[in-house]
Amino acid sequence: MNVLEIRNLTKKFGDFIAVDNMSLNIREGEIFGFLGSNGAGKSTTINMISSLLRSTKGDIEVLGRNIATNGKFAKMNIGIVPQDISIYENMTSYENVSFFAGLYGLRGNLLKERTEEALDFVGLGDKAKSFPKNFSGGMKRRLNIACAIAHRPKLIIMDEPTVGIDPQSRNYILNSVRKLNEMGCTIIYTSHYMEEVEEICTRIAIVDHGKIIADGTKEQLKAIITDTKNIWIEIKATDSPSIDSLKQIQGVITAQLEDNTIKINSKGEINNLNRVIQQLIKDGIEIRSVEEQAPNLETVFLTLTGRNLRD
Amino acid sequence: MNILNVALKEIKSATRERRTLLFMLAFPIVLMLILGTALSNVFSGSAIVGEMQLLYKITANEPQLTQSWQSFSQEIERQGIKIIPAEAGMNGQDLVKDGQYSAYVELESDGMKFYGSSKQSIESNVLQGMLTAFADRYNLAASAIKSAPSEAKAVMESIQSNDEFVNETSLDPDKTPGAMDYYAISMTTMIALYSALSGSFLFRSERTRQTAIRLMAAPISKGELFAGKVIGCTIINLLCVSIIILVSKFAFHANWGDHMGLVFLILTAEVLLAVSLGLGVSYLVQGEKSRSVIMIFTQIASFVGGAYFPVGDSDSIMGIVMNLSPLRWANEAIMNLIYSDDVLGAWPTIGINVAIAAAFLLISALIMRKREAL
Repeated sequence: MNVLEIRNLTKKFGDFIAVDNMSLNIREGEIFGFLGSNGAGKSTTINMISSLLRSTKGDIEVLGRNIATNGKFAKMNIGIVPQDISIYENMTSYENVSFFAGLYGLRGNLLKERTEEALDFVGLGDKAKSFPKNFSGGMKRRLNIACAIAHRPKLIIMDEPTVGIDPQSRNYILNSVRKLNEMGCTIIYTSHYMEEVEEICTRIAIVDHGKIIADGTKEQLKAIITDTKNIWIEIKATDSPSIDSLKQIQGVITAQLEDNTIKINSKGEINNLNRVIQQLIKDGIEIRSVEEQAPNLETVFLTLTGRNLRD
Repeated sequence: MNILNVALKEIKSATRERRTLLFMLAFPIVLMLILGTALSNVFSGSAIVGEMQLLYKITANEPQLTQSWQSFSQEIERQGIKIIPAEAGMNGQDLVKDGQYSAYVELESDGMKFYGSSKQSIESNVLQGMLTAFADRYNLAASAIKSAPSEAKAVMESIQSNDEFVNETSLDPDKTPGAMDYYAISMTTMIALYSALSGSFLFRSERTRQTAIRLMAAPISKGELFAGKVIGCTIINLLCVSIIILVSKFAFHANWGDHMGLVFLILTAEVLLAVSLGLGVSYLVQGEKSRSVIMIFTQIASFVGGAYFPVGDSDSIMGIVMNLSPLRWANEAIMNLIYSDDVLGAWPTIGINVAIAAAFLLISALIMRKREAL
């Protein structure tokens, strides 16, 4: 069963097309990764699914019902964890969760029960009476999640829920995502951390210029780029290689310098490593190590979009 | 139910904004105390009358006049006025000028000459009044002697026995506000107008806190959200107004009159107007500019509306500006209610406030509905 169906979705801001005729199905029980660099159109898509924005064209169906005509039904079944922490600092954790859950029609003992359950779920049960202004970034992020799940939504949209937090809180949140999925929630997950997406998502879509350019499991996505290889060359930190010269070498698709590592994506059938090394030596670059990388999501993304996820 | 939920959240949230609460409560109360105490004399309806000393000299050689004067002197001395005859060589005018006497009078054959002290204006005015009464009655008697000598004796007896040289008439002196009474009202109406600030923050704060996203994603209509927020904001501001009224009434003994219900209704209408105005401006003027617009408006409206000093009527441009201040409307309506029992006069003020509030609420609701976000 499809929890979410998007058909020919388009959103224009003046002449700018943020989402361009996008179609997508998300099945029940999936943890769906939504990958795209800044401005790719993923936040606009998420905002339209959450009824924060109106579409210019196209349809969105949540649990088989069109949100244009069944807005309240869709909202009742969606929980949103916004990228920015959206809680009231002058209200306690309990009051925050209880207020938002109350907007979904929960009352009395049920409201109390679900509020406590949500706080316990994110590990803030003992902080129910505390004010978020005294919380760490990680705790605020967890409260941000609690506010989205107390009404037990079928579909949870998490927009970069791990930005700017410590590894411990990050692991806690990733485990929470898995647990929520085990409990029957379908999750749409966006992140700039490729390893997170690779770790928890069961299906991933790569968005670029408002369109989905690839969609599948991580294995399916990696299979797209078997005809290319990735060479990482670590150089002396103070050296400045000519990336343009490397790009001129036959077979090189992309080349870029990150910290003191040159990352080259090249056609698989052409053996050009020798020429790359020769070029670097000619430029007076001191090579520390050379490594051929197995394809990962980052290289998939780079190959398909020509950009890093954080560009 | 969602309206109540949102309204309660607004109230709870506002009561925890200590700085705002402190401003809304401490600022008017402290100002009321300072201005009410410092300017108490300006508002005083009574004046202290000092000792009255009348210096006199009789140069006329008329027994009737001397006899009448002595009778007059004895009568007013009983009322605490010192009558002192000027000795030979004394310059009465100079002595009055020096402030040693309240007034100096010379009784001459061709009339009475009066010199009052500008330093003791109240005292000299009282004496002048008494002497005018004496002169009128003596002239009456003199005319009677000339025209009807048979009646003259009766007239003279009447003059000598009648002690009512000054009739005291009072126009209900207690029915005017003292300084504390005035500032209790003006500070309360001023802080009611300051509700515009919290009105301007109603939705802007949700946008800056990013909570607008959650509210928009929740199954609550914009109408419910709008109503809940306006109701909550109005209630919390009315609560502040009520506390100020109670403090001024019981701690500073300010006079709030006998129509407390109607006074509260005027203030409720003013708070509603202010909240709606703030909300409307926050939709009409984008970002931080709306806050500046509201701040400037409330400051000017407070100043010209009589928050810091009483303002009178004027036909000039300033008078027109003063009459545009909602603070002035509320002040006048409440003053008239308390000091003139003008119950009917309160309703136009309430009506105007509610009508303007409705207009701003309508504008805000239409803009909000048109927008995709809050």
